[in-house]
Amino acid sequence: MMKKIIAIARWEFLEKVKTKTFLISLIITPLLIISFSVLPSLLFRQEAPRVEVIGVIDTSGIYFDNLEKELEKYVLPDGQNNYVLINLTQPNLDIEELKKISDNKVLKNLLEGYLIIQTTSNDSVFAEYRSNAFGNFEIVGRLEEAINSVRIAQILQREGMKTNIISQIQDRPVVHQKKIEKEGKVSDLDFLTTFFLSIVFILLLMMMVIYSGQLLVRSIIEEKSSRLIEMLVSSSTPDELLAGKVLGLSLLGLTQIAIWALIGLGLVGTALVPLNAFRNVLPMLIYFILGFLFYTTLFVGIGSAVNTEQQAQQITTYLSLILMLPVVIAMPVIQNPDFIVTKIFSYIPLTIPTVMVLRLNVQNVSNFEILLTILILVLSIIISIKISAKIFRIGILSYGNKLSLKEIFNWLKE
Amino acid sequence: MLVVKNLVKRFNSTLAVDNLSFSVDPGKIFGLLGPNGAGKTTTLRTILNIIKPSSGEIIFNQKPITYDYYNLIGYLPEERGLYKRSKVIDVLKYFAALKNVNKKDAVQLADIWLKKLNILNYREKKIDQLSKGNQQKVQLIAAIIHNPLLLILDEPFTGFDPINQQEVKNLILSFLSEGKTIILSTHQMDLAEKLCEEILLINDGKEVCAGKLSNIKKRFSGNNIRLGFKENGISLKEFPEIVKFDTYSNYTDIQLRDDIIPSHFLKKLIEKIEVHHFSVIEPTLNRIFIDLIKDDIHK
Repeated sequence: MMKKIIAIARWEFLEKVKTKTFLISLIITPLLIISFSVLPSLLFRQEAPRVEVIGVIDTSGIYFDNLEKELEKYVLPDGQNNYVLINLTQPNLDIEELKKISDNKVLKNLLEGYLIIQTTSNDSVFAEYRSNAFGNFEIVGRLEEAINSVRIAQILQREGMKTNIISQIQDRPVVHQKKIEKEGKVSDLDFLTTFFLSIVFILLLMMMVIYSGQLLVRSIIEEKSSRLIEMLVSSSTPDELLAGKVLGLSLLGLTQIAIWALIGLGLVGTALVPLNAFRNVLPMLIYFILGFLFYTTLFVGIGSAVNTEQQAQQITTYLSLILMLPVVIAMPVIQNPDFIVTKIFSYIPLTIPTVMVLRLNVQNVSNFEILLTILILVLSIIISIKISAKIFRIGILSYGNKLSLKEIFNWLKE
Repeated sequence: MLVVKNLVKRFNSTLAVDNLSFSVDPGKIFGLLGPNGAGKTTTLRTILNIIKPSSGEIIFNQKPITYDYYNLIGYLPEERGLYKRSKVIDVLKYFAALKNVNKKDAVQLADIWLKKLNILNYREKKIDQLSKGNQQKVQLIAAIIHNPLLLILDEPFTGFDPINQQEVKNLILSFLSEGKTIILSTHQMDLAEKLCEEILLINDGKEVCAGKLSNIKKRFSGNNIRLGFKENGISLKEFPEIVKFDTYSNYTDIQLRDDIIPSHFLKKLIEKIEVHHFSVIEPTLNRIFIDLIKDDIHK
């Protein structure tokens, strides 16, 4: 019994490993994943810090010095000031002309950008930051903060507030985010890391399922269309054939993952992925393997009912869409792990692996819940294997045209 | 010996195999014949344990079918195909492994068969680099590499040129001396006529005609002979054994009375006329097949 399963698994594994498709997906998939996981964190990370020259047109004349002082607190790692302010105000020129001259300087890259501050009679401030790009949120935010604190300080001073009280008011507290771990340890993984880590996990699972699932369906179709299947089932039981195929192609997927994991470890070495991101490794691994098995057996059941590559393509597309569901709900799950819908999704077999992994990363899930969901998943796998094996047993020998659901239902009753 | 008893296979509402019974002796080729859609493949599949019969029994060497049975049977399906992108030797090793042949023996056996069928030089080639005929040879080897006791061949000759057909025929005949049980399913009546000792003709899942081929032929022969003789004035009308005759330019076809044995009649003839040709005319299996199936349809 086992001997034949191993022979079939061996064959499926070795014949697929030798193909060019395997090599290509081995290289392309990690490239995709890296670009999905590392690129955003690279983009969100500040650019290599450097001194930025920013011009200021201050018609009131009171802001420039204070702004310079305010911005002095942003210091580069090498001790230099992050921002150097240049006063562009020229009393003899009118504001439109000044703008023209300054715009030119920005376009020539002499300035990062420049700030126009105008005060109106009723003490309100109009400010405009002009640069050659939108989206410099950081500098705009900092300028805004600086202007506001200068303005508030001035108003308070005018009203006779003592300087030390003013600076006390200006010293704003910051809320730091920490996640409490089981043993009272504290982790400060930020939201983005958690999110991208979970997305990487889901992508990995999806890719493996789609990749192995398609291999599986294609291998069944090849054997069906060449009628080789008849020689195979006169040598081993359909169940052995099914088990061998799933085993062999899962191992193939695992081989890929293992190779990618080595690449991943390389990334840890370069500190792009924080090491403490791999905390819940054991339950994550279990969810991954079980999720993979569950999806794969579904693929087999559906795959053995079709006869042509086109039909297979259609069906695998639908299945892949179902696989997309967890990605859609990933964001709300991370933001709100206690939400009732999230809880419901973490008990539906199709979404257990992904939702649970997301929850593991953002909150502390009780062992009871982990065990319960694993149990549900295992039961679903057993049921799915039983149904798929039945469809497989009959489907592999039916070469007719497209099968109706009714027919498949009849098979299940047999 | 393979014994099939009251085999019935029903798919939902259609009756694919309707109460077939037959037995196949070792060392003989049994022909399973019938038009397309007669239920041959279904019958073969139940014998192969690929599908379960609705009722009836299949017994091989006094034992009902068990798991070990898989390793005793060899099957060459009607439609051919192999793993196109795999190497010949790898494919053969895989099929041997599926029949529980160990790896060392598998390689040895594969080489022996490749050599026997003159395709040893393709050993390391990929299947799709081989000609269609050679691919079929590889598939035939895949079906027999484990030295099966029961061999089921569905249209083994299609796709082979006459030389290769001869090679395959000799191969099949060599299995007979080894005492294998062979079931042959084919449309090529001339080949079935040459190879099969016993046949079962089915239509619509039912038995139409069964038994030893020689007996069946006798049953349908109507006691005809073909005679060539030198004219010497004696008329064939003088023989009471003759029912009727047709004279052609070189010979005469004669229908004898049913109780007359042709060789006895020949003795009597030789005394009276100079015979230079004498043969018993048997209807071809092809003829019998067509007549029987037509009759069956008209019923």
